[in-house]
Amino acid sequence: MFESVEEVQQRFKDARYIANRRISTVVFLAARMGRPVLIEGPAGVGKTELAKTLSDVTGRGLIRLQCYEGLDEGKALYEWKYAKQLLYTQLLRERIGELIADAPSLPEAVSRIAGQDDAFFSYRFLSPRPLLQAIRADDPVVLLVDEIDKAEPEFEAFLLEVLSDFQVSIPELGTVKAKHIPLVVLTSNNARELSDGLKRRCLHLFIDFPNPVDELAIIHLKVPEIPASLAKAVVAAVQKIRGLELRKPPSVSESIDWARSLVILNAKELDPSLVEATLTMLVKYEKDIERVKGALDKVLAETK
Amino acid sequence: MEERILEFIGDLRRAELRISTAEALDALSASAEVGLLDRETFKSTLAATLVKEARDLETFDRIFNLYFLDLEALGEGLKKALGPEDPKVQDQLDQVLDAENMDLDELTELLMRGQGSEMEMAIRGGAQGAGLERLMYFLQVGYFSRRISDQFDWSAIERDIEKIMQALEAKGLDPGQLARIRNYLELRLEAFRRMIRQHVQRELERRAYRAGEQLTREVLSEKPLFALTPDEVAQMKSVVAKLARRIKDALALRRRQEQKGRIDSRKTIRKSLQYGGVPMEVFLKQRHREKPRLITVCDVSDSVRNASRFMLQLVWSLQECFSRVRSYVFVSEIAEVTQGFNNYPVERAIEWALKGAPVDYHCRSDFGYAFSRFATTELESLDKKTTILMLGDARNNYNDPQAWALRLIRERVKGIIWLNPEGQWGWGIGDSVMPLYAPSCDIVRECRTIGQLGEVVDNLVHSWWRRG
Repeated sequence: MFESVEEVQQRFKDARYIANRRISTVVFLAARMGRPVLIEGPAGVGKTELAKTLSDVTGRGLIRLQCYEGLDEGKALYEWKYAKQLLYTQLLRERIGELIADAPSLPEAVSRIAGQDDAFFSYRFLSPRPLLQAIRADDPVVLLVDEIDKAEPEFEAFLLEVLSDFQVSIPELGTVKAKHIPLVVLTSNNARELSDGLKRRCLHLFIDFPNPVDELAIIHLKVPEIPASLAKAVVAAVQKIRGLELRKPPSVSESIDWARSLVILNAKELDPSLVEATLTMLVKYEKDIERVKGALDKVLAETK
Repeated sequence: MEERILEFIGDLRRAELRISTAEALDALSASAEVGLLDRETFKSTLAATLVKEARDLETFDRIFNLYFLDLEALGEGLKKALGPEDPKVQDQLDQVLDAENMDLDELTELLMRGQGSEMEMAIRGGAQGAGLERLMYFLQVGYFSRRISDQFDWSAIERDIEKIMQALEAKGLDPGQLARIRNYLELRLEAFRRMIRQHVQRELERRAYRAGEQLTREVLSEKPLFALTPDEVAQMKSVVAKLARRIKDALALRRRQEQKGRIDSRKTIRKSLQYGGVPMEVFLKQRHREKPRLITVCDVSDSVRNASRFMLQLVWSLQECFSRVRSYVFVSEIAEVTQGFNNYPVERAIEWALKGAPVDYHCRSDFGYAFSRFATTELESLDKKTTILMLGDARNNYNDPQAWALRLIRERVKGIIWLNPEGQWGWGIGDSVMPLYAPSCDIVRECRTIGQLGEVVDNLVHSWWRRG
């Protein structure tokens, strides 16, 4: 899939994602070793985006499993279409009646029906959910398990089982083995500690806020129409704001939004009144906004 | 190289990173995939396979730098000489070496063609011969560098270099080119010498670091809190943070294990519709466990300040385990400092509570006065869900202990837990009024060290409020 770490970096860049050396190394290893990648980091640094880009770059389809509290196997793996099964049995009542009409005894009738099990427990009545889709896919895919920390620990244990063998057993149908090992990306916002087993199984990647050089490159890439001087000022200001001990420091996606809105407003440089007016794009909590406003001189000091 | 990686993993483990055998194997096979050419890639590879907690990355970085040679540190010129950046010269050299089929010393060969990491391996081999494991002090760096140097046959290298230069001259290279090649070789030789010295230095740092880590963990958590030096106090902060994390993790585990409770009829019926009204799956209501309200009351006079500091840090790092935390500090006047915690990050809030709160820090502690003030002003805000965590040595400077105030407070709350940073043998001796206060408390514990503090808080979080 990839020949070298440099190739990863280049191809991600072509797909408009700035992957630093660490990110591309991990992606390279994951592809080579067939290991899941667990990505941690603050919100909005491009964790989910990485998986999407990976699917773009490799030309594999993306299957996404969004985790939330209460997610269970039924929603993640497969579910029997019970209503459909019921409907079919109703419609086929006569045929079933015919089938057992001449059965001499009750046990005989039961075993005749049992012989038709396959008709009702087949893939026709199974709705595959993301995990089973990924495993049964005819072409290799990228499987994104988003925000795994939101799911319960039991689900995590179950996921671990799937990820280590890439096979699942459906009691009525037998074991389904993956045709291709999917590229698996898990993301976590660290709402809770993940289990050791899962971490052991995965390659670990921590994505932090980018350094100024990378962030500048990202902004130029995502907001190509921005003037160079303004981009520089935006990055300098955002980096300063992140140093302010806020409740939620601005993420990369927020700095991109901010840069975009500044371009729309036709700004040539950052002046205090403009920054104050657009600050809500960047900082989302009332207290944080006040804080930034209070330190505006400092924030804008190096942007001139 | 494998050996080196394994040794590195050993050091990570000693620094309390949990690394399983499977992960160690991953690291080996992954580093075989990427090779050693690029230091940054190699580092990311080890980090991705070995470090599974973002908070451990810092430790990893530190140990990695102690372990694996940083070519950057050798300076620009030497780094160039070691890297493949001078391909023209290297080409010429390679040609000569291939054509002439010279009988060269092993080390010369390495010097001619080797990458930094291969040279490092040679140095490690030399270091074993030189008995580097006896290295202990900074003053020995020069001595051991020399001893390692002595393991190599320098005269053979110089002879070889002369031989190569002659061969090149015979090929008819002009003097300018020859000078450039000689310069290149000498740079490489110099780089090699410096690598030896760097290796010894790093070895020394590594040992010091290892010894230091051990000290922090084992000695500090058993050392009486009042005897900590300012440096140690700074180190302890990370120890306390680790402790808090452990308690939190354990709590999360226990909460998950609960599987009993009332039936959640809404959810069960909804699910049963899928099965034609038959409740195939039964859902239980999540039992909401009452989180305790906590009030900490800390003596912040000089004698117990360290203990108060760590208890505040621990309690505030565990805030999610409590529904509400309020903190008071006193010497004799008592003041609420909760606000500081709401406005500042924990560290700064603690500094403020210990130095800048509106109480007089220079008077003598008077528990009786503090409790009576607390009883008159705050009694209304107490309720049966609240637990009071008291920290103080109960040395009352012969003031009136006013034990009635504490009794009054006790009647209003769920319980009082008293932590005393003084050894149990001293309670009741001299001006200590611990025995007078003890009957009003539910639990009285000696809390002289971080280890003991951890036990108490762990106990509080896990079992105290379960008793209902």
